[in-house]
Amino acid sequence: MTMLSVRGLSKSFGGLTAVDNVSFDVHEGMIKALIGPNGAGKSTLFNLLTGFECPDAGTVTFLGQPMVALKPFKVVRAGIARTFQNTQVFGEMSVIENVLVGMHTQLATGFAAGALRLPATRKADRMAVERAGRLLRLVGAEEFADAPGADIPHGVRRLVEIARALAAAPKLLLLDEPAAGLNNAETQALAASLRRIQADGTTILIVEHDMGLVMEISDEIVVLDRGRKIAEGSPKLIQKDPAVIEAYLGEEVPDA
Amino acid sequence: MSARYGLDRAIARVAPVLIVALVAAVPLLTDDRYLFKVLTFVGLNVIVVTGLALLFGYAGQISLGHAAFFGIGAYSVGYLTATRALPWLAAVAIGVALASVVGLLLSLPMLRLKGHYLAMATLAFSEILGVFFVEASAITGGNDGLRGIPFPSVGPFKIATPGASYLLVWGVAIIVVVLASNLVRTRPGRALRAVHGTELGAQACGIDTGRLRVQVFTLSAGLAGLAGALYAGVVGFVSPTTFSLEFSVLLVAMVVLGGTGSITGPVVACVALTLLPYIDALVPGLPRDAVAFLQDWEADISGIVMIGVLLFAPGGVAGMLRRSRRAGDAS
Repeated sequence: MTMLSVRGLSKSFGGLTAVDNVSFDVHEGMIKALIGPNGAGKSTLFNLLTGFECPDAGTVTFLGQPMVALKPFKVVRAGIARTFQNTQVFGEMSVIENVLVGMHTQLATGFAAGALRLPATRKADRMAVERAGRLLRLVGAEEFADAPGADIPHGVRRLVEIARALAAAPKLLLLDEPAAGLNNAETQALAASLRRIQADGTTILIVEHDMGLVMEISDEIVVLDRGRKIAEGSPKLIQKDPAVIEAYLGEEVPDA
Repeated sequence: MSARYGLDRAIARVAPVLIVALVAAVPLLTDDRYLFKVLTFVGLNVIVVTGLALLFGYAGQISLGHAAFFGIGAYSVGYLTATRALPWLAAVAIGVALASVVGLLLSLPMLRLKGHYLAMATLAFSEILGVFFVEASAITGGNDGLRGIPFPSVGPFKIATPGASYLLVWGVAIIVVVLASNLVRTRPGRALRAVHGTELGAQACGIDTGRLRVQVFTLSAGLAGLAGALYAGVVGFVSPTTFSLEFSVLLVAMVVLGGTGSITGPVVACVALTLLPYIDALVPGLPRDAVAFLQDWEADISGIVMIGVLLFAPGGVAGMLRRSRRAGDAS
């Protein structure tokens, strides 16, 4: 079933066309990767999908609902959560509190209920803390649970953002370069986490430069170059695609 | 580490009880009217500072207009009880509501503003209201202010003595501090800190950051209005000089000194800075010259303290406590 449908999406900044008439689908349950050289428009595309930027043209449909021009918080409520290439971890809050903030849409406590801290609120918070712990274990960042966000290594910040995004119980998870700053062993652990997330029923759209990871985990790949979609297909197909090889300056895409 | 957390938790459990006991014990230990007055002022400031700590210390939104919201509460109660003979409780409710609504209306156009621009906008608002307090003399009594504001009363109960006023104000202050401390530990409080941390991150967590900022500004203005509303009945007199920019700046200084992301820190700083000019009420043997010096230079001392904190201890009192706790964990 088509979960996310992107049609003719375009965005330019001044004279620069960052995203140029891009269309693709993400089917439920798959891991889809978005790759391309630096400046291909991947992050802009993410911003367009999550309400952080408004497209000049095109449509985004998520589970039959139009997404374009929705504010970011409404996109999250609709079931799309994301991480950032430049991580946006709350530095003054502990890692577990970061994940708790990710549960904002899942908890109901308002100002009055929060001020009174009724038994129901406490119970909801206790369960939230437990769930946050589980999510941190899932991404492999549980040892940092009590550390302030500002004090954790860069690679871990990406993992914390994944846990925080998962906390919103999204149907579709958008990951912007989750493996940047991770070593080989950590990247392998991340791949395993992503598979588990997929197995739990969350669809994933991932922007990633680590081709080994991309080829290993994705079911389908979209390749962008200078804002345009130049190829789409299975990892095997993409590795042989002449346009893709050309875009990567003649370098052959490394094998998985 | 767990033993330490256990101790922290024990302190966190016991401290509020001790503070409440201490506040309640004061009338048993003394009947000094002057001391009651001073401590009542401290309690009023605690109410305003708690609201400002939520706004500035948690959500990172500065306001240089909180004296004006205090003024709205005070003038509302002054006018409604003295001139319109409304029951005190109704007047307080209206004063708080009015301050909240003005806060709400002010926060909507300010949503796009941050940092210095927000400071300027709230400053301008404060100045406009300052002029209003003087010029709308039919309501506010102009430069002379409002006199003969009746004591707070609920039905047959009248709160007419300094000791009773003290208990009223501190009763409200403690409730406000407890509610605020609860709030910051739950979902809305986490959202406030998140917005302060990174707005992009907060939005990506599904937080409606605009709505949240309006909510916290409204709440904060309402609390300042509440303190003002209590002030009018307790002091019996309201004049424009009370609601000056100086007062707004002092309130901000209390939050800065107390530290961001804390209620306790700003409350402690508020108690210290409010007591500073009245030090003679607490330490009877103090030389007159020293007291006069403190009173004359109060604003300068607060200013220097604020600059010193920003330069050398940006986390304020709360930050220093957190650091020492962390250092303790590490050892």
